[in-house]
Amino acid sequence: MLNDETLYLTVEELGEQLRTRKISAVELTESYLARSERLGPRLHAYATLTRELALKEAHAAEQEIAAGKYRGPLHGMPYAAKDLLAVRGYPTTWGAAPYAEQQFDYDATVIQKLRHAGAILIGKAAMIELAGGMGYRFASASHTGAARNPWNEACWTCGSSSGSAAIVSSAMAAFAIGSETWGSIVCPSAFTGISGLRPTYGRVSRHGAMSLAYSMDKLGPMARSAHDCGIILAAIAGHDPLDPASLPAQPTIFNSSSAHAPAQASRVRTAKKTLRVGWLTNAWKDLSPGVEKRIQEAQKVVRGFAANFAEATLPEGPWEAAAGLVISAECASAFDKLIESGGVAKLADPEGRLGGYINQQIAATDLVRANRLRRVLQHKMAELFGQFDVLATASLPVTASKLEANLDDELSFPDPLGGIGNFCGLPAISVPCGLADDQLPVGLQFVAPPLGETAVLQAAQEFQHTTRWHKLRPNV
Amino acid sequence: MMKTKTKTKTKMKEPEDSHPGGISRRSFARGAALVGAAAALLPAHLLAQAQSPASTAAAGTEKPPEPSPKLSPASQAEAEAKIQNIMRKYGSRLSDAEKVDVRKSVLSQQESIDKLRAFPLENWDEPALVLRAVLQGK
Repeated sequence: MLNDETLYLTVEELGEQLRTRKISAVELTESYLARSERLGPRLHAYATLTRELALKEAHAAEQEIAAGKYRGPLHGMPYAAKDLLAVRGYPTTWGAAPYAEQQFDYDATVIQKLRHAGAILIGKAAMIELAGGMGYRFASASHTGAARNPWNEACWTCGSSSGSAAIVSSAMAAFAIGSETWGSIVCPSAFTGISGLRPTYGRVSRHGAMSLAYSMDKLGPMARSAHDCGIILAAIAGHDPLDPASLPAQPTIFNSSSAHAPAQASRVRTAKKTLRVGWLTNAWKDLSPGVEKRIQEAQKVVRGFAANFAEATLPEGPWEAAAGLVISAECASAFDKLIESGGVAKLADPEGRLGGYINQQIAATDLVRANRLRRVLQHKMAELFGQFDVLATASLPVTASKLEANLDDELSFPDPLGGIGNFCGLPAISVPCGLADDQLPVGLQFVAPPLGETAVLQAAQEFQHTTRWHKLRPNV
Repeated sequence: MMKTKTKTKTKMKEPEDSHPGGISRRSFARGAALVGAAAALLPAHLLAQAQSPASTAAAGTEKPPEPSPKLSPASQAEAEAKIQNIMRKYGSRLSDAEKVDVRKSVLSQQESIDKLRAFPLENWDEPALVLRAVLQGK
């Protein structure tokens, strides 16, 4: 079995070792599987391990690499996929008891694309039931229990990509796929000290993924560096006629448009300072002292690589309310059968059992109005991005909450950037920027205009070029 | 409101939408979808309410419910109609405690809806919806 030092390497580093055959895909897969079997149940990180499939794919990858048929930086790379992605032959539970036996006879497009790139699926990551679409009050709102944070197992990883975060943070796989409708990649990444990228809406196909809110769902990579996120995004992005929201075929704006390209191709750092950074002054009402200290230090680093650095403010308006209303209405429609059948009573969380009933009462005219506000907001954000390539702020104003916390008390605060970013489908990345006084990770967030993945990746890579926070490891 | 008990050091400007009863990343989708601090309720508190005669009245139909201080009479009436609709359709599935929760969430959601409705829009402000014609074989 490979040692911890190796298992904590980035995709970029592991890929080079696989390409040069210093390690084998089978050995790497078996090592991650063994670690997952040991740590996974303790952290409530997985819904299912796909051992048989993983070893089959690993042997195939190993043979191809040995034969000189190298597919690219993900060839032979073990990963986990959030359990809202369909994988033929395995349960896809959406994290929820009513769907515990659900299976699909096809693979989600993201799974297909990663398989094409040579990546190896080792398991389905645990998640908050229905990705939190019905609402939830406790971290235990999952068919598999509350995911424990590798940095402090008395704390939560955040949701809804809770298992994906635990898996990457504790090196149970090289990377994971998560999803975000509002905060579900950014928050778990921040709470567990990993790098997580929320792509532009429509950038990554959602075919085969559970729908929560049709106009806001996104899939994205969670990994141990921003550079890794770029590599993975390159493999999973692209037009898919099976996803009605998929962006048209076009030359990708971010580098490394192909998973077959060398890993270096996704490096978007430049020798010359080019980024115009807007430091948000109204993204959070308060920062906890431990978070504020790290964010102030991070700000100095960002100033150092920015071509232009200035304070920025988000436009004012009821954007969070509008985004929330759209999610609630779309979710009530997406799960209308579950709601009307009374199947919601089987959900784990007391709030989730009621949310659908309430959200069915939203008036059509209010939904249309919310979407009219969305267009107003899009124009306001376009104006703001006329001045800045990226906006930056803390990913979250607090560190990880306790496992048993009532989240209405412990994790309830205005989040205008999360609302705006997701309502407008903006790309964002969270990267670790140190530990707070409680020794829990703090995240720094970059947000860009639509299709601005290159900018957020550039900013994040610049940050990680200067800092080493992404190399910190929890003691698990 | 960020409900940490830490002292505030930042001097951040508070967005219009970011009031103490603002919207958390999860509460967007809770029944209320848009529930703020006012709706946060400890289970024990909830249980106590549910067990009291007053709470049954609040959740059900027998006594006049208490109005929300943040809602106009028209909005209050609209919210009450929604609550009645839920009770009519799903009331038999709900416990007394759940009925209390439903009521609080609907009232809170109504506050958010009022904020949406207060935002000035013009006739020509179209919704951000995309409809693309689907052609056979394309």
